[in-house]
Amino acid sequence: MNRRLLSVVGEGLLHVVRHPLRSLLTAFTSAIAIAVTVNVISLAFGMQEDIAGDVDRFGRNTVDVGLPPALAPGMPRPPLGAAQAARAAAILDGLDPLIVPRRQRASPVRGEGQTESERLQLVAAPPTYLRTLNIPVAHGRWLRSDDPVGAPGTETDAVGACVLDGAAAERIFPQVAPAAVVGRVVALRVEGAPRRMRVVGILSDPLRYRELFETFDEGKGARTLTSSLLSFRNVYLPEATFGDGPYTGISIVLADGGAVVEAQERLIGVWADARDLASLSSGRLVVFARGQWMDALGASTMQGSMIGNLVWMLIVLVAAIMISTLHLITVRERYDEVALRRCEGARRSDIALQITVEGVTTALLGGLAGLPLGYVGAALLREIVQFPFRFEFRYALVATGVAVFLGLVSSVLPARHAARLQPAQVLSRRLT
Amino acid sequence: MHDPFDITDCAAGAEALAVLEGVGRSYRSGAVAVDALKPLDLCVHRGDFLAVMGPSGSGKSTLLHVLGCLDRPTAGRYLLNGHDVSRMPDRELAEVRNATIGFVFQRFHLLADESALRNVELPLLYGGVPRAERRVRASEALASVGLEDRVAHRPGELSGGEQQRVALARALVKRPRLLLADEPTGNLDTAAGGRVLERIAEESRRGMTVILITHDPEVAARAGRTLMMRDGTLGHP
Repeated sequence: MNRRLLSVVGEGLLHVVRHPLRSLLTAFTSAIAIAVTVNVISLAFGMQEDIAGDVDRFGRNTVDVGLPPALAPGMPRPPLGAAQAARAAAILDGLDPLIVPRRQRASPVRGEGQTESERLQLVAAPPTYLRTLNIPVAHGRWLRSDDPVGAPGTETDAVGACVLDGAAAERIFPQVAPAAVVGRVVALRVEGAPRRMRVVGILSDPLRYRELFETFDEGKGARTLTSSLLSFRNVYLPEATFGDGPYTGISIVLADGGAVVEAQERLIGVWADARDLASLSSGRLVVFARGQWMDALGASTMQGSMIGNLVWMLIVLVAAIMISTLHLITVRERYDEVALRRCEGARRSDIALQITVEGVTTALLGGLAGLPLGYVGAALLREIVQFPFRFEFRYALVATGVAVFLGLVSSVLPARHAARLQPAQVLSRRLT
Repeated sequence: MHDPFDITDCAAGAEALAVLEGVGRSYRSGAVAVDALKPLDLCVHRGDFLAVMGPSGSGKSTLLHVLGCLDRPTAGRYLLNGHDVSRMPDRELAEVRNATIGFVFQRFHLLADESALRNVELPLLYGGVPRAERRVRASEALASVGLEDRVAHRPGELSGGEQQRVALARALVKRPRLLLADEPTGNLDTAAGGRVLERIAEESRRGMTVILITHDPEVAARAGRTLMMRDGTLGHP
């Protein structure tokens, strides 16, 4: 940038300093707009990113083969057992699949020493089951192949082993710290008979916004085996707990995420009529890629954040119009100054640049003031309405960029207006 | 002394600074065309000191705007310093104004929020002069109009006469070839006006070309020649 342009930029900056009240008014408008932007981005965009991060733990590389829900009494259910697991391995030959069968039952579960029981999903699966998810063990350990399954009875010493989801541990032992749950015993029912299981580990809860998640999940009417499994309020048991009865589902983990679609296609070709959960009436097996479920969840949260984005964009637009109007009024008051500058050698572009610098500077200063304002506003909102909120430095960068954009947009008309002024016309009002 | 209305050989002459060849300026006022300046010839030599008199609305200011490259003629050709500026792009006209022409206005037209020094610096800023040099030259220009002790004062802190001297310093700081003064004493008392006129006359004696617009015959008498503007036409008094 040459010296002349730098001087013009300096004139713009000086004007901002020389007219503090005018600059303050403009900056205030910008501050409000940016505060709202930060607020909404932190709430909507932040939540969306969090949820996207959460669902990415649900096994994007996993394809589930499961029994269809019983839509009518006596509805035939297809067989799903070791033979089908072996067939799945054969169908997916070449894709290096890890076949993880599971048996799943609902049962009341009560922590010993607790008075209330909770109805939860029991998931009996081999130790490889943890590979279908991406969830760390928070306390204790995961199941091993030599863990005992226990024996029926309430007084027996033959206690089995189990691992609890973090949310399940909270429900079963509401007053106990998760780490202290390890080693405690829970009472549940296996095939109608009571069974005691000792907790050997607690999984982290992958759902930061559990309530929102569950609202979505139920709202979608998708209380399927997959979604109940992925609600992460399960009790995990050794594989042999339910004996050798039919599987509830088979999870297939593929080493290469790119092979998921092909694996799903191959399995659908053999077992399923439909790819989605909307038309399940034939009694054939359901083939379901978790990625689809995750994408549906992502799309749903995206809609929410889109609405949020529309809100702040609308507010920025209104602010741009307000600031632009303020600038236009200011320019009208400065006709003589503009005319004089043109007389003294300012080009049209110099005038436009100066007005733009003034607009961008005030909007930027206001925007910077709006950042903490938005942060505080979002934090207050979180406290008042218990809404999730996340603030990151990059949101501040986005908001700063928005402030600059706001300054630029709001300066277009005033700068154009000022640059087009004919000095002779302005001076004619005063001369003669 | 040459005849300012005789432009024969004027354009080619080294003595000519500003030459108007059939220059006219008309405006549209609604559906009506107004000839603010009827086609006229004018030859202004380097070092000339011309006064233009005339009643209000006679076209004096339009003439000044055309001469100052603030307005374009709708007819004819304007040669300034040998260049046809009547069809020059706006960007180049700005440079011509910055390098060649100094303006003094009746109402001073100073930047109210800036010091006298910063006001005088303004044309140098658009000329790309380094800041340090701007400061020195602006200080010298203010000193040349007797305001060396007023450099930090804002216009509101100066008398009318002082403000006009700041405006004069601003016009002179870029050492223009042509000084255009529009009623420079119109808002001043006799003493203050006299000081401003004396300073302008001094620049004229040093070789600067000056065109001064005034209603006042006494002010016009300071010029080497007085022209009369009536109904958009320029003539002898």
